[in-house]
Amino acid sequence: MKKRISESPRLLIILLLALYGLLTTGVTLWVLHDSLEHSYRLNYEDLEDDLKTIAPYLELRMNQGDKDCFAYLELVSSVQHEEREYSYVVRDKEGEVIAPSFAAGRTLKMKKVKQLDKTGTCWLADVWGDRCFIIIHPFPTRPLELIGVYDYDYIFGDREETAKDFIMMLVLLFLLLLAVSWFWIIPVVERVLERKRLAENELNEARDLQQKAVTTVFPKNSFFDSHAVLRPAREVGGDIYRFGMQDGKFQYVIGDVSDKGTTAALLMFTISSFIHSRTRGEVPVCELMKELNCLICDNSEYEMLCTLFLGHIDAETLKMEYCNAGHTRTLVNGDFLDQDSQLLAGLDRDYPYHTQTVQLHHGDRVLLYTDGVTEARGADRSFFGEKRLQEWMNGLDPAISSEAACQSLLDTLAAFRGNALQNDDIAIIYIKIV
Amino acid sequence: MKTIIEEKNGVVIVSVQGELDTDTSAQFQRDIEPLMERKDTKVEMDLSKLDYMSSKALRILVAFQQAVTRNGGSFSITKVTDTVQEVFDMTGLSASFLR
Repeated sequence: MKKRISESPRLLIILLLALYGLLTTGVTLWVLHDSLEHSYRLNYEDLEDDLKTIAPYLELRMNQGDKDCFAYLELVSSVQHEEREYSYVVRDKEGEVIAPSFAAGRTLKMKKVKQLDKTGTCWLADVWGDRCFIIIHPFPTRPLELIGVYDYDYIFGDREETAKDFIMMLVLLFLLLLAVSWFWIIPVVERVLERKRLAENELNEARDLQQKAVTTVFPKNSFFDSHAVLRPAREVGGDIYRFGMQDGKFQYVIGDVSDKGTTAALLMFTISSFIHSRTRGEVPVCELMKELNCLICDNSEYEMLCTLFLGHIDAETLKMEYCNAGHTRTLVNGDFLDQDSQLLAGLDRDYPYHTQTVQLHHGDRVLLYTDGVTEARGADRSFFGEKRLQEWMNGLDPAISSEAACQSLLDTLAAFRGNALQNDDIAIIYIKIV
Repeated sequence: MKTIIEEKNGVVIVSVQGELDTDTSAQFQRDIEPLMERKDTKVEMDLSKLDYMSSKALRILVAFQQAVTRNGGSFSITKVTDTVQEVFDMTGLSASFLR
């Protein structure tokens, strides 16, 4: 039941409305009933006093403007069941007939309204043009006798009518709210939830694709000990890397598409499959970059840009050839590599990328990463930066495994970030030349 | 992050203040979107008060430049802070953006 409510906003809103309706109706009835009850009781208490003081005569108390006046009602009853006809005269305290202010001799038609209790019956009648609340008490020895005439509105006010009106208004309001919710609010809420669900699904799918596009088997042989980690951020990102041994070379590419979603994921796959298929043979690194650049420029639905760092390390000569397209600066043994800032890929189809080379040695360690590392923000809004990265690498034990090195950097970043959220994908490739 | 757009002598000057990180970049894109649809507009961007620019914001600027030039206009960035200059240098965009 709980699960069904959370999944259906419709059900939830109806339940809330019903609860609202019940609650307000209940509160209203309780408040009004109390005052009605109170009036009744108050009334009856007054009557008891009257009962004691009068015998065959009845006291009539009327408010006439500023004057209180007392008169007696002498009643002659005729017996009928629901409607009784009474004739009466009104006499003053001294027994004199009071006329013409009171309609002496007038026939009073009364209708039974409600049962007061076992001892009395309330009758509602029209007396002198005003509504009147008349209590008739059945004495055991006599037929029904009029006990008192009380001004109805004085006693009840319009409480009953007001209560009825109020409850009717609540019911109408409830129906109105129900209609508005059903036809307008609920569809809107459902649409919003659906959109969120779809967006969530797309993000999840894109993340899956990203994980599938990156290398998961890292070359560890007599030449290289490599490892990579990818920590995707929630919504931003687009990091990609692909590397492996091919033709006696450690081939790698790392890049940042800087977008999430399925289009970015497809671009990642394009890069990934390109590297997989094209890096056979002796194709110069800059030619690979030019081809890949053309591929990205031509294959995008809308403009997609991508930083890339592409290269290979020859296992025999330990010569590294590389080509940079707008990517972050590579670290070799704690020093930044001489890396030309060439244009990021996907922008200019004819950009003349060139290759650079560097001679590596046994024991060298190469760190490739994306800007999620250097642009990681700490709790105090400062950036991790290249300097801290350099410090980390210089402080690293050269002998530890590439896997441990990657973990060390992740731990350092996590410590730096503290409570702050990860704001971008983090990708790290650590290559140790054995 | 604040985007101030003014027009002076037929040139649209866009000043960006604060930081363009992942959150504010979306807002920035919305702010400059109307300019991407205008024809033959000369746009100059003043980033002297921009403390930080993420890679996402960079993409937005590139797309903006392409849209403006496609519509017959021109786009250049007149002033940048050092940190932002570094980002342009690293991605090789200094040549096409900064003069």
